[in-house]
Amino acid sequence: MSSSFSVAWYQLSYHKVKLAVAAAGVVVAVMLMLVQLGIRQGAMDNSVAVARRFTADLVVVSPRTKTIFASAQFPRRLLYRLGALSEVADITEMYMGQGRFRNPWDKLEFPVSIYGIDPQNPMMNLPGLERFQERLQLTDYVLFDGLSRKNYGPVLSFLRQQGTLDVEVNLRKVRIFDSIDVGISINTDGNLFMSPANFLRMFPERQPGSVDVGLLRLKSGSDVKHVRNQLRELLGAEARILTRDELVASEIVFIRENAPLDFIFGMGAAVGFFIGFVVVYQILYTEVTNHLPQYATLKAMGFSDHYLLRVVLSQSMILSLLGYFPGFLLALGLYRVATNAIQMQFTMTVGRALFVFALTIVMCGLSAMIAIRKVRTADPADVF
Amino acid sequence: MSNANLTPRLTEPTPSDPVISARHLDFSFGEGDLEKQVLFDVSFEVGSGEIVLLTGPSGSGKTTLLTLIGALRKVTSGELFVLSRPLHHTSMADLVEVRKEIGFIFQQHNLLPFMTARQNVELMFQLQPDVSRNEAALLTEQLLTSVGLSHRLDYHPARLSGGQKQRVAVARALAANPRLILADEPTAALDSQSGRDVVTLLQELARNRGCPILMVTHDPRILDIADRIINMEDGRIHSFS
Repeated sequence: MSSSFSVAWYQLSYHKVKLAVAAAGVVVAVMLMLVQLGIRQGAMDNSVAVARRFTADLVVVSPRTKTIFASAQFPRRLLYRLGALSEVADITEMYMGQGRFRNPWDKLEFPVSIYGIDPQNPMMNLPGLERFQERLQLTDYVLFDGLSRKNYGPVLSFLRQQGTLDVEVNLRKVRIFDSIDVGISINTDGNLFMSPANFLRMFPERQPGSVDVGLLRLKSGSDVKHVRNQLRELLGAEARILTRDELVASEIVFIRENAPLDFIFGMGAAVGFFIGFVVVYQILYTEVTNHLPQYATLKAMGFSDHYLLRVVLSQSMILSLLGYFPGFLLALGLYRVATNAIQMQFTMTVGRALFVFALTIVMCGLSAMIAIRKVRTADPADVF
Repeated sequence: MSNANLTPRLTEPTPSDPVISARHLDFSFGEGDLEKQVLFDVSFEVGSGEIVLLTGPSGSGKTTLLTLIGALRKVTSGELFVLSRPLHHTSMADLVEVRKEIGFIFQQHNLLPFMTARQNVELMFQLQPDVSRNEAALLTEQLLTSVGLSHRLDYHPARLSGGQKQRVAVARALAANPRLILADEPTAALDSQSGRDVVTLLQELARNRGCPILMVTHDPRILDIADRIINMEDGRIHSFS
């Protein structure tokens, strides 16, 4: 351990209360940054979770569609043309819509996202769907998302006891026969999955010939972008074709533009950074100011400015470390609380942990840099 | 504990060269209209092993002179050699190098309050890279023992008396293995007995190590330890005695 680091530690640890306050400031800052950035990322991830679940290589949507959560329809017949290209292995269509789910307990209606998918070939990553293939074909049989909000009532516990639950969706009586865990987002509070036929029963105004999303799987080894360009010519102006990754990217753009996630949570994180900066600066500055005569004495005895700067910088690094780890654990706890409260999944990522760690070092280092200017004013000639 | 450890660190007295040699020193604070000259044509020498007291009323320029000799201020006019090095026309970095060879004792002890007596003294060995960590620990204990504080090694300054703190400061000054000790009213904050003890200690160390001491003091009780007394008034040397 270097000598300037030891001096820094002796100085910080001499007043335990002061050290605790300083560390607490950093803890709060770290926690705020982690939680705010975590919720931002979580909200973003959950909102594009549906797009990410597509297992197709290419996705066809209407040219009017900005997001698949408020999609316009395009003629299904366009999809039939696409099979002409030998690289196309499989094509399926998907209907999406927003319905009104009447909570059978309090009789109030809540919006719900409704997906009409081919149970045999959904081209969507829905683990466990295979078990329900046959029952999904039954008239007015629908599958409930087990991670939906509590708005819809105690659906899951009822299913566990009674097996099925009859509810009213879009003024039509349907039967929830089971649940599957998928997940919600800021776009949607709950999901219902069903066959296209049942979807069309629930939306009588919709035509079977106009679909929301077309999903294409290519033969393995195909050049996805090249095929997309070829198919684009086949589709003409009536539909737009994207790779799955392009769809995810455009969904992220939509979220960014429509929900001010970056601003709100970025601001929260910035506030955390600022709090930490101010607390650390205050502590370091008063430490330097209170010990100016002693620092000047050290200078008089031959210690360089550089040595004293290292002392202050070491203090800021100690505060970073003392604050980061408790702040990290606290944030993990809050992720769990938020996951339960908002019913969206929030997880810590290595990238975010490292990013916030770097921010913490910068935050403390910056405070030190400013407090250090005071050290230079310690004039050894003033000690006498 | 053997003296063999200490012996090679003792500075060889060099009777030929004066340790401090000042010629026609002038010094002013401020610039332009605010310029105030505080030292006028100061010339004197201090030889090796000498204890020289610098006395005079407040404002007579004693402390300013001491800061110049301690390489804490830049010499602007006249010549000043300390430990055979010129302090006029030198860079800040050179001044810092000179400081490392000087032991400072201040009116206030100025120990780092968050470090124990041992840690305060041991810190000085950071400036002596050729002294190993183990040697530094050993020398620190020897120094604190020699100032009579072997039973207070791990006390923070707050738990030491004024005299004890000043003795830690003396040990710290000596830890720099100085070739010159500069002291600024080291007894001013102490009662007469503690003050006497500190001065006696300094005197013994000066004798044993052959290390000259230049001490600013008002304290008439300690004048007897001096080899010479330089009396200052209004920025000039008034008399030698």
